[in-house]
Amino acid sequence: MTVSAARPVPATGPADLTLDEVATEAAVLRLYRQIFAVLAREAGAMIMDAGLIDVDEAILEAFAEAGSDGLTVAEAVAACPRFDAATIERRFALLRDYQAVAKVVDRKNEQHYRAAFAPYVMLLFLRRLTERGGQSELHQLLTLEQLNVTKPDATQADGRASATRMTKIFRLMANELASLVQRGAADALREHAQLLWGNRSLITQAEEVHAAVLTAWPQLGQECAMLRIALAAYGDAIESAAGRLLEQAGTTRALGLLPAETWVSFARGAPVADLAAVLDGFVFDAPAPWFSAQGLAEAVESARQAGGTRLRPPRAEYAETAEPAPGDLVPADDQAELAAAAQRLLGGRERVSVADLLGEAGDWPTCRRLLAEMTAIHHHPALDYGLTWADGLRVDPGPGLAWTSEGWFGRGQARPVPAGKN
Amino acid sequence: MPPRDQETALWWARIRAAGPQLVAAGTPVPPGLLRLAEPGGTQVWFTTDIPNAGGPATLDELDLPRPVLEMPNDTARVLAACVRCCWADPAGPLWPGVAVPSGLVVSVFRAMTGRDGIVAHRAVVGALRRLSWPGWLLWDTTAAVVRLGPRVAAWNQAELSTLRELWRSMPAPGPLPAGQDDVPGPEAGDDAAEVDA
Repeated sequence: MTVSAARPVPATGPADLTLDEVATEAAVLRLYRQIFAVLAREAGAMIMDAGLIDVDEAILEAFAEAGSDGLTVAEAVAACPRFDAATIERRFALLRDYQAVAKVVDRKNEQHYRAAFAPYVMLLFLRRLTERGGQSELHQLLTLEQLNVTKPDATQADGRASATRMTKIFRLMANELASLVQRGAADALREHAQLLWGNRSLITQAEEVHAAVLTAWPQLGQECAMLRIALAAYGDAIESAAGRLLEQAGTTRALGLLPAETWVSFARGAPVADLAAVLDGFVFDAPAPWFSAQGLAEAVESARQAGGTRLRPPRAEYAETAEPAPGDLVPADDQAELAAAAQRLLGGRERVSVADLLGEAGDWPTCRRLLAEMTAIHHHPALDYGLTWADGLRVDPGPGLAWTSEGWFGRGQARPVPAGKN
Repeated sequence: MPPRDQETALWWARIRAAGPQLVAAGTPVPPGLLRLAEPGGTQVWFTTDIPNAGGPATLDELDLPRPVLEMPNDTARVLAACVRCCWADPAGPLWPGVAVPSGLVVSVFRAMTGRDGIVAHRAVVGALRRLSWPGWLLWDTTAAVVRLGPRVAAWNQAELSTLRELWRSMPAPGPLPAGQDDVPGPEAGDDAAEVDA
């Protein structure tokens, strides 16, 4: 990366270029194309499958084995037996399009190709980046910067370029982290933050470079101030990200602070003392079965409900003790009371209107009792009184009963009621 | 770790692993343990005195399973029957209680559940075996007598009042049936008892 980054990129329009500058730009572009050939899926698009990188690596390794004569397409296919021929041919054509492989001699029927070294360097870089997440690359970059600015023949321009590059790197990292802290979800922060925070040593290393630059070229104070500001911003972003994660972890018993795999590996690899410390403050003691008093009471209660297999059917109390006396079977009779009630209702008359009786009674509870008495007297077989209902209906919106059926209560069972009389 | 703390930890581990421990009466009581005098005065039981918040209810709070017990309801009923028989005076303390013939326990269990002789007998034998190893009951198989075990001392006052209510509501131990209801010990062969059925 440093190779391409160090190249001056023309900032002016193509119209102003001299022939030399055009040639330089073409060389730079060719290098870019070669470098990114390994990431290309087809002309103009990124790869969608990480396995294609393996195919590229196999092809480039085959070229390394082949020596200066180069390889034909068929030879390259034969040298990579792990992958099927069609895949190899497709990738080969793509690498050729990007000029990562080129004809040994540029003529029409040339079959042998040679490979450029830049794609392989890029490939190695990509592998390291994916394996270690870019942090080690940053460390190496900073080491390189340190070497750059401390070597004897370093110029002030080198120092300025170095300080500017580092300022940009740390600003970018601080910006990403700060925006995640402010706006991102906690999960996104946790996923991305692994690469961005916790590397205090990066800051330390950058401060060393900064000190070297400032000592060597005191006139670069402006650039060094910018670098210091960027470093401070990065440090602040780390702090706030850590604070946000800890705050969020506080509600989840801190289990969310680390990914699940970390907890699993802790459980597998921790010594007994560390594992036991997790449960400090808890008391467990139930290796033997435990019975609570409540549990005993419930078990006894359920035994009564279930009651075994044979339940005695419910019977009356006296059934167990003795045979009931024959007289007990006759229901209680209140003939005398009913006769007295009939006398009282009639009051010496032969018969009396039900409506009048009820009207004298007034309130409904008394009326209800009177009706019950009359009905009981009417149905009693031994009493010669009768209750006869007629068709009329007396309506009176005043106090007491609002309406009353016409009827007669009197001596004699089926005595005809004189018609037309109230 | 100081030697005394180490000794305390060992006692807790012993009780946890093997249940309440029977020791000579002169043994100093480690912190956190209950000392229960065995009748006779020469020996004492050590058992753990667990605070209410640390008991098995903690397992329910943490949604962990309790130890699995075979036929938990019948076992609990037999324990209740033993409490009914061995707790002579519910106004007094539960420990140490009195030793009763195991036939009495069977009679209470039978009155409680209404089961037949042989079914009740089999249930009681199994439950007595399950209750005697953790120390809930002391079961002398040769004399066929049952006592309450030292683990019952872990019941607190609230639970004791529940048990008093239970004691009053349970059927009283009936007369000891002649012969066939003496519960044989495991050595006497519960298999034989089941074959008899």
